[in-house]
Amino acid sequence: MEKRDLENREVPLTALKDKETGKVTSIKAGRGIGRGKGWGFEKRLMDMGLTPGTEVTVVKSAPFHGPVEVLVRGSRLALGRGMAERIFVEIKP
Amino acid sequence: MTQKKLLIALAGNANVGKSVIFNYLTGLHQHIGNWPGKTVERAEGTLHYKGYTIDIIDLPGIYSLSTYSLEELVSRKYITVERPDIVINVVDASVLERNLFFTLQLMELETPMVIALNQIDMAKSKGIQIDVKKLEKLLGVPVLPTVAVKGVGITKLLEKAIETVEKGAVEKHPRAIYGEEVEERIEKLMPMLSNIHLLYPQRYAAIKLLEGDEEIEQEVSRIDKQIVAAAKKLADEIRSLHGHACSTVITSERYELAGCIARNAQKLVSPIKPTWSERLHNITTHRIGGYIVLASSLLLIFYAIFTFGGYTSELLNNFFYEWEPLVKGAVGAGIASELLWGGVIEGIIAGTTIVLPYIIPFYLILYFLENSGYLSRIAFLMDNVMHKMGLHGKAFIPLMLGYGCNVPACLGCRIMETHRERLLAAFVTTLVPCAARTVIILGLVGNFLGFQWALGLYVFNLVMIFALGRLAFKVVPGEPTALIMEMPDYRLPHAKTILKQTWFRVAEFIKIAFPLIIAGSLVLKLAEIAGLLEPITGVLSPVTVAWLGLPAVAGITLIFGILRKELALIMLAALLGTTNFALVLTPVQMVVFTLVAMFYIPCTATIAALVREFRWKKALFITVFEIVFAIFLGGIAFRLLTLFM
Repeated sequence: MEKRDLENREVPLTALKDKETGKVTSIKAGRGIGRGKGWGFEKRLMDMGLTPGTEVTVVKSAPFHGPVEVLVRGSRLALGRGMAERIFVEIKP
Repeated sequence: MTQKKLLIALAGNANVGKSVIFNYLTGLHQHIGNWPGKTVERAEGTLHYKGYTIDIIDLPGIYSLSTYSLEELVSRKYITVERPDIVINVVDASVLERNLFFTLQLMELETPMVIALNQIDMAKSKGIQIDVKKLEKLLGVPVLPTVAVKGVGITKLLEKAIETVEKGAVEKHPRAIYGEEVEERIEKLMPMLSNIHLLYPQRYAAIKLLEGDEEIEQEVSRIDKQIVAAAKKLADEIRSLHGHACSTVITSERYELAGCIARNAQKLVSPIKPTWSERLHNITTHRIGGYIVLASSLLLIFYAIFTFGGYTSELLNNFFYEWEPLVKGAVGAGIASELLWGGVIEGIIAGTTIVLPYIIPFYLILYFLENSGYLSRIAFLMDNVMHKMGLHGKAFIPLMLGYGCNVPACLGCRIMETHRERLLAAFVTTLVPCAARTVIILGLVGNFLGFQWALGLYVFNLVMIFALGRLAFKVVPGEPTALIMEMPDYRLPHAKTILKQTWFRVAEFIKIAFPLIIAGSLVLKLAEIAGLLEPITGVLSPVTVAWLGLPAVAGITLIFGILRKELALIMLAALLGTTNFALVLTPVQMVVFTLVAMFYIPCTATIAALVREFRWKKALFITVFEIVFAIFLGGIAFRLLTLFM
């Protein structure tokens, strides 16, 4: 069996292929620490259920680097590409 | 006997059927406005039931009670300051975990509450069965199953709410219990808060301090800075224990708890097979098919609205003007009759011929799309494009509305999350050529220069929208925007809710736009009677004649256009004495005139909408900017086009 070398490594959510599932490890909110730029996003992503340890399944991406559709906690979310790139996941073996 | 009063608040996530329940309960006794000083919609209604006068307030649909968005802040403040007698938490049974995350936060506010477990029919068709009794026990809050679109369970829900209020205060509020490390620190913080007076319950304040909630930190530090410092220290302890920020830990644990309750109370029965809603979702978000569906629906919608609108608008116009001799005859000749007809009545006609033919169908379709769930798919497909102008996918919706009328489009910017995004979206929206401007574009350039010229102007307009959108995005400070949006399951929209939403929107439009349109007509009529139009033409001529290369009368027409854009063209015909513009205008003049009319100012009704949403200063700024921009652009175009044409 071929093994993808992405396994067990932290990759951005956008590296997942359609139908692949990963576990959220962290959200890199961007420049600055704490409440700098992007703090609001991190909080909002958490509030939408993307907390560390949560399983996320990528359903599909919109073309031309559009948003990503994911399944989280039984509901369907659309995440902007820039946002999805900051969510890091561990691909489930 | 005096009437007993009751205040009920409806709270819950977006798209859970809150507004359907609200409409079901309140019928036509509704008032829709804004929260004081906020661009957040506030829907209130009244209901009489069993000797009670019940005021119902529909809080905005939110996912959390933190302070990320205006909606969240407004809702939290309302529950803690206004203290409704009871909160009805509307919960989507088919997405229980996410919904309970919000429920747990409501419970922390220690407000009396009941839960409406809505859309149980949809949950069932997705293979989710919920044990209502068990859920009730796990939460410690009454739970009532409802199917709001069919009116099932609403009366029982209301009765349970009243019963819960009548029973009075509970001894101990049910609450979410966190992990040991967090609980320990909440316990440590609580005694420090016991001596100070806060709007919020002590435990809630303690949790929020650990989460680093800015608003509560500010409130507490005004009384005692030490407490905030202590909370920060405790939060740091949790961070080093868990390796994540304390707010992350608390949110995680809250979600775990919600998930645990959901899993305990629900049973997944039949294997999940694709339902019609699922299939529709796959088609409408398909990387190719999705865009085809989107483009064809938009074309169809616009074609239908413009055909219907054009026809009805003319019919209404003819109908109204048949009355002109009669009215004038009744009042007699003279200034009074001129003012009455030319000012007041023509203002009313102007408004009516926009509202009935265009605004009503627009809203009906909009709410149909919104309630069915399609709007979120449009936002998904268009996110990418909207990012190019610094906005995210949801902004496409007001932009699309703008092609019909800018007023609902400006109000529609409320779907954006932050004030900044709302302002940026509204600014861009006012540049979109609405139905009235389309009349000018097609009537002048389209008719006399050919369709390709009209199309060219539309494309140019889009380019300008992009450019100005980007510019505004760079200039206005704030966080970048990003799309985080739930895409709810498709469902059949509830006809009555759509009708009511449309009705209240139209009423709002009339309230905002009519007084201004009438006042504007009166002022112009007065200016005309006073013989001020001639001198104004003279004053404007350096701009209109020298800079823009237009005939002198164009200045007056553009002033009338502020009232209603298509008046600019109608007046132009009247003042030039012909509708065959080819005889009196050069092709360059036609293009320049249309270009200026396209950008030069939001119409009075749109300005009113901007003032209402963003206050005078910002509305004025947008207005002045657009005037200057349009004149600048027109002058450049005049010079460039003269070289070619």
